[in-house]
Amino acid sequence: MAQAKRRFRKDHWFFFTIPALVIYVWFMAFPLFNSMRMSFYQGTGLIPTQFVGLQNYVELFTNPLFRDRLLGALKNTCILFAICMGIQNTLGLLFANILAGRLKGRSVFRTIIFLPATMSVLVTGFLWKLILNPHWGAVNQILVRFGLKQFEGYPWLGKPETAMIMVGLVTAWQWVGIPTMIFLAGFQGISEDVLEAASIDGASALQIFWKVKLPLLTPVIGLVAVMTFVGNFNAFDIVFAMTNARGAPEYSTDIMGTLFYRIGIAGQHPVAQPNMGVGASIATVIFFILFLGVSMWMYLRERGSRVQ
Amino acid sequence: MRHRRTNLIHYLILLAWSLIVLFPVWTMLVNSLKKQLDIFRDPFVFPPSPNLAGYRYVLQDSDFLLYCWNTLFVVGLTIFVTLFIGSLASYALAFWKGKASKFLYLLFLSGIMIPIRLGTINIFQIVRSLGLMGSLYGLIPVYIAWGLPMAVFVLTTFIQELPRELIEVAEIDGASRMRIYSNIIVPLIRPALGTVAIINLINIWNDIWFPLIFNLKESHRTLMLGVTYFFGTYQTDWTKVLVVLTLATLPIILLYILMSKQFIKGLTAGAIKG
Amino acid sequence: MRKQRRFSLLVLVVLVGVLLASALVSAETVTLTLGSWRVDDVEQVNRLLDAFHKSHPDIRIRFNPTNPPDYNAVLRTQLTGGTGPDLMYVRSFKVGQDLFAEGYLEPLTGLEGLEENFSVGSRAAWSLNDVPFAVPFMAVSHGIYYNVDLFKKHNLEIPQTWEELLQVAETLKAAGVIPFSNGSKDEWDMNEIVFMNLLPNFIGGREARLEYETGEVPFNDAKMVSAFKALQDIAPYLPPGQEGVSYYDAQQLFLLGRAAMFFGGSWDVAFFVSSEPDFEWSVFATPAPEGRPTVVTFHPDAGLGLNSASPHKEAGLKFLTWLTTVEAAQILADEIPGFYPLNQTSITLQDKHANDFYALHEGKDVDARFVWPELQSGDPDGYLLTQTAALAVVKGSMTPEEAADYLQEGLETWFTPTQKFKK
Repeated sequence: MAQAKRRFRKDHWFFFTIPALVIYVWFMAFPLFNSMRMSFYQGTGLIPTQFVGLQNYVELFTNPLFRDRLLGALKNTCILFAICMGIQNTLGLLFANILAGRLKGRSVFRTIIFLPATMSVLVTGFLWKLILNPHWGAVNQILVRFGLKQFEGYPWLGKPETAMIMVGLVTAWQWVGIPTMIFLAGFQGISEDVLEAASIDGASALQIFWKVKLPLLTPVIGLVAVMTFVGNFNAFDIVFAMTNARGAPEYSTDIMGTLFYRIGIAGQHPVAQPNMGVGASIATVIFFILFLGVSMWMYLRERGSRVQ
Repeated sequence: MRHRRTNLIHYLILLAWSLIVLFPVWTMLVNSLKKQLDIFRDPFVFPPSPNLAGYRYVLQDSDFLLYCWNTLFVVGLTIFVTLFIGSLASYALAFWKGKASKFLYLLFLSGIMIPIRLGTINIFQIVRSLGLMGSLYGLIPVYIAWGLPMAVFVLTTFIQELPRELIEVAEIDGASRMRIYSNIIVPLIRPALGTVAIINLINIWNDIWFPLIFNLKESHRTLMLGVTYFFGTYQTDWTKVLVVLTLATLPIILLYILMSKQFIKGLTAGAIKG
Repeated sequence: MRKQRRFSLLVLVVLVGVLLASALVSAETVTLTLGSWRVDDVEQVNRLLDAFHKSHPDIRIRFNPTNPPDYNAVLRTQLTGGTGPDLMYVRSFKVGQDLFAEGYLEPLTGLEGLEENFSVGSRAAWSLNDVPFAVPFMAVSHGIYYNVDLFKKHNLEIPQTWEELLQVAETLKAAGVIPFSNGSKDEWDMNEIVFMNLLPNFIGGREARLEYETGEVPFNDAKMVSAFKALQDIAPYLPPGQEGVSYYDAQQLFLLGRAAMFFGGSWDVAFFVSSEPDFEWSVFATPAPEGRPTVVTFHPDAGLGLNSASPHKEAGLKFLTWLTTVEAAQILADEIPGFYPLNQTSITLQDKHANDFYALHEGKDVDARFVWPELQSGDPDGYLLTQTAALAVVKGSMTPEEAADYLQEGLETWFTPTQKFKK
């Protein structure tokens, strides 16, 4: 009786979530999950009507026309994720660590690091295509000036071996400001006392970073990793702006987001007839991969906090 | 002594990165001052005779300022509501232990796990049934709903990391949950609120998909939707695109600086709590 | 008291008058929207519409284009959701036929002027089972642009045969000039603008295409191999790092005078004229090999259709009827150089460059781009197959024979007429 009363007290936690829940479910969760049903249907147009059960998934995993593209996109998305984790987030951590100190001019540097994130992907794509261009690009001019003659006219975005790496690096270049900002917010949550105590004990800056700051930052690192993971599996614009929706050259920059867009939303050039059924099943695959990843992260985090 | 050397290394790292960042930005600036063909003649040098025609066109003959205002209106309203209801929900999800809480948390998170374009036709029909097709107001609930998963994700993590003692002390003092939210939680998670605001700002500012789908009437167009009119079938007027996007960067940078002021405040709050 | 009453009466009369007048006005003029992917021609199309408004003061049409990469997806969403434009630009062949089959387009059987003013070939591009669903609006032509000064400087004549073209390219390359500016970064242009531009010169025009489509010959016959061989021939004359040269870069390389020739389409005319008015260029038809007739790729590109759910169908039909007239064709020809009306009555073009381009196909056999009419309705579609094959030949990872076999093997998985050649 008393318990029941406490459960439904006037400011029960549930009430706090209602405003967000209503808008979110109404305009996002319901439309998205409702659309996932389309993965069980086939037909032309955006609302296929013929129920086919799991046929779209069977197609997706066995028909080489889809399977090869799915596996390719999965591989390329993993490359993108590796570059973003290894370069973007590592740099972000490094920058945040520096900016959290008392360096003069840190707000200027903070703004500069964040600057690319404010630019539209359309223009980022254009600028980097200009810089990487085999004929008038700056990268090749600089390399040639340093005596690396073999890079004269090298098509960075035209070679299957380098295109995905370039797209990944540009993504990292553009978004490094966001992990920097989140890590910075995380560093500011670390109490000064802890740091002072460590520094009085004679720990070097490097030691403090590895032994004190990093462990305290683990939850934020997890947060950034999950955000990158989720972001990369939904990424789309940058490939669209730098190569094309087909992931040129030879599908080497085709990622999950472009695969979904090409098959489910726009249809392939020039026919442009979307296959919403298979498109929705690709979206469902993306959802399951991400859901698995995030659940794992939640499990690890909970276990970690229990150990602590 | 050792301190000074680390500082030097830090400066070198930051300066090197600044170069890598500023070179493309420089490219954007100088090319917005060139005629179309001169962009490719020498893409990385300042033009000997800057061509201001692009700026003149965008500022005088186009609806740039109106579109800019429309975008600011949508962004401002959206971010305000997202932060408010998002932080309320995150506060609850961070403290509420139980299966229902975990379910709601995962439900919120799942919104960023599905490509948003999948829901296009459903979202379209919902907005249409509300009679908001073609209007800026139709964008706002969609953008709020779009921003909420990220907001809940980031804010819940940060609230969970707050020192428990502060809240427990307040609870013992008899403060209500709402009071704890407004007096303790919100001031302490300012840096995280700033982060969420900025991430949403960028997403909404650059979105062209929903403005296109909702077929916004001329007086309601957003800035990025306006930019798409410079992208032709086979040709694109890059001078104008670069002018608009250079100009469009300015308000975002200003908003960024404004919002990142929260960091400084957050820093002081952190110092007090330490 | 009386004064007051008189005043209220006056107000009432005025009010009723205003109401009546506004009702009359709104009953008189209807406003229709026209959807399109041509954001490039807003002013030009508005002038075309103004001419229509002049003769039809009761109808107003508002041009509302969407940026091209998103046009199909946006249009589809709006049509599905019931807010599509009243009138819309419709792609030729499969894309339009799909929209019609799904019921979004009004059938135009018996539309006044349609049969009289357009050839069977043009109408076929926007018909399904002989039911027309759009008025043929504009076509594009294909050819090779060349830099007049560079040709003069190196004493070059306009090549009349494919062999001469290769000689010209060789001379230019030896002199340190890039012969062709095209590249394969964007992929589609190597297929659509280079390969399909030269293709009919090696296999022949419409008649020859029909032989493939009816299964008289396989897609890997000697003629098809020779077309892929031609692509292999020009590969050494493409720019260095051609894998990284986009369609846009190719235009710039040509405009900057670094490359002497550019496989392009008539739609490039306006861009070249506006970005570099003093630059002297001209255009020639892609030549056929010695002993074969030159065939020009003249491709029906855009038709105008009526939304079957439009509340203003009658007004829409009036506009479409007007579009079939010579008057409309002439305005279109003058306003949008490089996009040609499909009206059978011959039209004179004011723009010199556009006229030069238009003249290329006169007296010659013409055809649409090879895969458009029949080869797009299966998976893998003909477009994807020729694109993959063309890129591989240029790159050197497929021989011309392998490329033709790849096309045949891909098509025989679904294209019934050619399945009898299955090995």
